[in-house]
Amino acid sequence: MKSKNIIPNRLIILAIAGLPFASPLFADDGAATNATEAAEIQALKQEIQALDQKVEALEQRHEAEPPATTNASTEQVQALDQKVRVLERLRENDQDAAATAARAQPKISLGASGFTFSSADSNFVASLHGTVQVDSRTFQNDDHIQGNDSILLRRARPIFSGTVYHDFDFMFVPEFGNATPGASSAATTPSIYDAYINYRYSPALQLQAGRFKPPVGLEYLQSDSYLSFNERSLATDLIPGRDLGFELHGDIAGGVVSYAAGIFNGVGDNQRNTTDTAFQDNREFDGRLFVQPFKTTSLTGLQNLGLGAGGSWGTSSITNTLDLPNTTGGTLSGFVTDGQQQFFAYNPLAGGVMAHGTHWRLSPQGYYYYGPFGLLGEYVISDQGVENSATRRTADLKNTAWEISGGWVLTGEDVSYNGLTPRHPFDPRNGNWGAWQVVARYAELNVDDNAFPVFSNPATSASAAQAWAVGLNWYLNKNIRVNASFSRTTFTGGGGAGASVPAAVTQHAEEVFFTRIQLVF
Amino acid sequence: MKTFLKILLASTLAISASAKEIKLLNVSYDPTRELYQDYNAAFAKYWKTKTGDDVTVSQSHGGSGKQALSVINGLEADVVTLALAYDVDAISQQAKLLPADWQTRLPNNSTPYTSTIVFLVRKGNPKNIKDWDDVVKPGVTVVVPNPKTSGGARWAYLAAYAYALETSGHDDAKAKDFITKLYKNVPVLDSGARGSTVTFAQRGIGDVLLAWENEAHLVLKEFGADQFEIVTPPLSILAEPPVAVVDKIAKKHGTTEVAAAYLDYLYSDEGQEIAAKNFYRPRNAAIAEKYAANFTQLKLVTVDQEFGGWQKAQKTHFADGGVFDQIYAP
Repeated sequence: MKSKNIIPNRLIILAIAGLPFASPLFADDGAATNATEAAEIQALKQEIQALDQKVEALEQRHEAEPPATTNASTEQVQALDQKVRVLERLRENDQDAAATAARAQPKISLGASGFTFSSADSNFVASLHGTVQVDSRTFQNDDHIQGNDSILLRRARPIFSGTVYHDFDFMFVPEFGNATPGASSAATTPSIYDAYINYRYSPALQLQAGRFKPPVGLEYLQSDSYLSFNERSLATDLIPGRDLGFELHGDIAGGVVSYAAGIFNGVGDNQRNTTDTAFQDNREFDGRLFVQPFKTTSLTGLQNLGLGAGGSWGTSSITNTLDLPNTTGGTLSGFVTDGQQQFFAYNPLAGGVMAHGTHWRLSPQGYYYYGPFGLLGEYVISDQGVENSATRRTADLKNTAWEISGGWVLTGEDVSYNGLTPRHPFDPRNGNWGAWQVVARYAELNVDDNAFPVFSNPATSASAAQAWAVGLNWYLNKNIRVNASFSRTTFTGGGGAGASVPAAVTQHAEEVFFTRIQLVF
Repeated sequence: MKTFLKILLASTLAISASAKEIKLLNVSYDPTRELYQDYNAAFAKYWKTKTGDDVTVSQSHGGSGKQALSVINGLEADVVTLALAYDVDAISQQAKLLPADWQTRLPNNSTPYTSTIVFLVRKGNPKNIKDWDDVVKPGVTVVVPNPKTSGGARWAYLAAYAYALETSGHDDAKAKDFITKLYKNVPVLDSGARGSTVTFAQRGIGDVLLAWENEAHLVLKEFGADQFEIVTPPLSILAEPPVAVVDKIAKKHGTTEVAAAYLDYLYSDEGQEIAAKNFYRPRNAAIAEKYAANFTQLKLVTVDQEFGGWQKAQKTHFADGGVFDQIYAP
């Protein structure tokens, strides 16, 4: 406001100063008035000078004041600007700190692969997975066997697994379903299937201890979730089931070579160790070498070709009936069909049969997967030393079995030893129907002829079984699968009169229709 | 048959003589990014010429204290090049990854280059900051990182404290009062030196940045001398950033030999030149002389002289409940 007043004030002063010169009085030249006029002029001049000085003073003052005000404002603005910048920077740092803290927080994931907790650095991981399989078995032309047509909870397993301190893995798998093939009532009791600790020094060098699958059979080592059929083939009848032991294992060169070798309590063919005790005082050695020579090459057609062999060796220093699949003919599984019915037992007419001496197995094996096509094959020799407790006769029985199974994914997805994932999960509203796969299998099991009649009754136990099966698998999504399959098993030998197994089983070819609904997460 | 054997032998020799690819991880503190970017390239070239092997050095940077903690918690560093010996001691003591006498394994207490703390001010030095007394004046805004997490910040803190001790006849109460005034002028504590540089140079906060000498020169180089200027106080601290092979990790990785050579080469003429070019004060006298124009002479006190060594300094000033916790209120 002051600056606006300066110019009018000055104009007024100039107007006042100039007034005498503009007036008519100033134009008169009379002598009488000269002195008075001169005095007036002088007075006016002085007044003008005084006013001028005042104006100058005011101007100086005015000029001095605004900069002072501007500097103060600038400082205030700068101070405020600094405060704003500081606040922004503090906020920025807080956000960084929050992001850093978030990275240090445990991670939780829930999805098709289960439920997983993990520490921020992934050194500690805990996962919950599960498998539920609801099966039906419908036997044809078997009126002579009551109760084998059934709907059953084949597997119901919560799977707890994880890692501690980065290098130590663990797995704990209890079974709440119908645990044992050809199960007796006792087998439905919940039990621990897998419980082990695995130390990973590197992928190539790992040590595992606890209860788990021994490294022998290819089909047996495949996860239950990925099996082509409801039940494993006759070849697995000669493979040791889950056992307690220590195993050194690893994958070399990115999985081109996989090896495993361990020492175990030792179990009979198609048996699993259900207690913490050994069936014999001596240990069993199991091992397996598997090679996928083209796995890391660019030859896509051969990348999933795998060949190998598994085997075991053990001795019984004392005879022990528990080391054999069956000694009484009926309560344990023995050698069983696809329908999980016993067709062979160590059931001589006189005495019992006990393991005696060496028991070794050898299993050449391989698979090939390419695109939607998959093929898996396995041959097993199980050489079992036995003794008849009544006659004291001994023998080495060389039982053999083999299988070959194949499949084709009709909807084109790639399949592997570790299953398949549907490209378009089931969603009928959008026209997606999951993945469909047809599968087929042929298998045989041949019991050593020397088993009869000293170690098994030829009238009731079959000396051989041949089984073929076809099936259709529907993968609704990664977690849900529906199976339907038909299996036919024929027998050589056996078939004698009797309502109990194995006679009742071997009297006719077994024909069974399976279904399954499976949840895996 | 002989031809076949010759071919087989030649193939075997060729395979065994083929170049190895070696990877190293150097866990370092905040402002060494540019130094090691240059140095790693030079070392790779040197090692290739010497052995035929390819070596790739990866870098990890952050506040020195935080970096040491990362190594203790499992970051697999083949070598550490941290801001102060205390942080390497922590790795030795808490994780047992290298022996306690690690500092004796290389010349000059395993410190191939040194530095100091200087003032970076805005062009024209509007607050007329010349010495430490100017930094603690009311109305002067100071930018410096957090001494709890940053090695550079600990050096800056001790430089200021040493000045206060020197000018007060070693009156600890007066020094504490001085340092209290200093941190009253600090509005933002970044976790590392590079963060404080961002605060000062990019975000435009503060009148003075208490900076590593090399970091201050880097700011001039990056932002231009028309925006900032370096003020070297008459007294500051001799900062000795040490280097060490992390024995157990290097052994696990099979890199012990190359890791040791990597640090040895820092003392070579080329290593010292690279340090000097990146405004670290070289140990080599001839190279120090060559680059003397880059480094203003000043009185440099040491941690051992003024504070009785790093262990004592850490315990007194930076440990929980120490002087810094007593005097600093955010």
